[in-house]
Amino acid sequence: MEIYLPIAGMSINFFLVIGIGGLVGFLSGLFGVGGGFLLTPLMMMIGIPPAVAAASDSNQICAAAASGAFAHWRLGNVDFKMGAVILAGGIIGGTIGVQLVKILRALGNFEFVMKVVYVLMLGLVGSAMFVESLRTIRRSRAQAETCTIAVGKPKPGLFSRLPLKMHFHRSGLHTSAIFPFSIGTIVGIMAALLGVGGGFIMVPAMIYIIGMPTIAAIGTDLFQIVLTSANVTLQQAFVNKTVDLLLALTLLAGSTIGAQFGAIAGKRLKGEQIRILLAIIVLTLTVKLFLDLVLTPEDLVSLAPAKGGGH
Amino acid sequence: MKRLLTLLLALSLGSSLSGEARAITPEAQQKVVTAASKNLIEIGVSYQGDQIHFFGVNPVPGTDLIIKLTAEKDEELKLSVKGKVGPLWMTVKQYDVKGAPFMYKIHASKPIDQIVSAATAQELELGYPAIRHKMQMHLSRGTAAPDDADKVYKGLLKIKERNNLYNIVEDPKRLEIAEGKLFKHYFRFPPAASEGRYLVESFCFDKGHLVGYGKDVIVIKKVGIEHWLTDVSQNQPVFFGILAVVIAVGAGLLVGVIFRKGGHH
Repeated sequence: MEIYLPIAGMSINFFLVIGIGGLVGFLSGLFGVGGGFLLTPLMMMIGIPPAVAAASDSNQICAAAASGAFAHWRLGNVDFKMGAVILAGGIIGGTIGVQLVKILRALGNFEFVMKVVYVLMLGLVGSAMFVESLRTIRRSRAQAETCTIAVGKPKPGLFSRLPLKMHFHRSGLHTSAIFPFSIGTIVGIMAALLGVGGGFIMVPAMIYIIGMPTIAAIGTDLFQIVLTSANVTLQQAFVNKTVDLLLALTLLAGSTIGAQFGAIAGKRLKGEQIRILLAIIVLTLTVKLFLDLVLTPEDLVSLAPAKGGGH
Repeated sequence: MKRLLTLLLALSLGSSLSGEARAITPEAQQKVVTAASKNLIEIGVSYQGDQIHFFGVNPVPGTDLIIKLTAEKDEELKLSVKGKVGPLWMTVKQYDVKGAPFMYKIHASKPIDQIVSAATAQELELGYPAIRHKMQMHLSRGTAAPDDADKVYKGLLKIKERNNLYNIVEDPKRLEIAEGKLFKHYFRFPPAASEGRYLVESFCFDKGHLVGYGKDVIVIKKVGIEHWLTDVSQNQPVFFGILAVVIAVGAGLLVGVIFRKGGHH
């Protein structure tokens, strides 16, 4: 069964798209991550133009994060004040990011820059995760030694000493707004460029650098992702006209179903096993993208979007 | 229309300059009567390309046939050329290309160069050499190299052929002609063939001279939700963006309510 994607301008197997959405949904349910960083590269691999893949992914993330954010909001896990500060950065970052996409597409190097950023980011995150989970596994094997895992205890770092101090009631923090705003901006740029939510950067930053409680970090992150990705979707629709709603909704359907199974599977696996699996997936993807950059491409000549965008 | 005007202009110029120079006027030839199995292709949600069968009567039995499918519009393209920068491959220059048809397919009863002279082929835009002649390239970024023209032309051809937008078949099996008179064949329109008007022209040549000509127009258009989404996204991007976000958030919340687990983050 084929489905014709109006903005991508191509027909593609419906079950392939549902399947990819399902796979990423399964992994995100299993690992508790958003999965945007897997979704965009996978879509590119099945032939969706990179710009359409990233923009439609933002659209899908908006939906996926909304359901999560809603649940966390009801449980009182959203620090709205912190969310607003990060969001201010996210909106600015997303807007800059979309303009960057436009410029890079016109220069014919959008795909290149996107892949470079992916390789750096996934390589870093993947290796860190791999090393960390390997260490945990080794440690749990040598159980005799009673070890206290040195969880990065939130410490008032350099960033909290910056000016513009604010009180964040929900997180129980009195800290500078500069770092949350800056990380929001950086993640916002990445959201537009890569079609990701950025939770895998934002959540650790919120916990370890800003010092928020884990549950508040997750809830607040989801809250800001809904609005940051909504902004990116809007901007991509205005500026680059690359949002394929049909693609986004098909992916959403797949990922929703996949996530339910992922969550069930997640309960049967140990945390470090899950993490090492995710690390391997991330590193495999990194290698694939890296090879795309260094091996002689099959096509030395490619179509750049004609004036204005579209497809 | 533009092509016709060009031909007329060429004709008038040709006849006024010298008696020998002549331009070929397809419309002035005997009509090749043709029929298409349909003239309208609709792109719906489950569209995966389409094919149209063509039937025709050769006005001069036993002559050679060339049938050409082109998009009415020529494209203005921007092509990126990759080069190696350090260990990485990235776009190093770009060309603006004009005059290349968006779609170009030919069915010929035998190799084109055995049917017509190179000059005639060029005038009627038959065959890849004619397309290459018509293509204009202009370097818009980067530094030019001597083999660029060749590289860009071949690269474009490769992209187009892979998407099944360009293809030339010079095979009597593909263009069946019963008793030299009644011919039939089909063109495949791939999913990549976008909305627009397409021309299918049937040329009939007797010893290299055009003796018959026929034309069919095929229209491809999106219908239903495909039409609506394309139209709104390209022409009312603000509305479309808001719509995309509202639908996504709505769908997300609905999912959250259904599964009660609150998504998967």
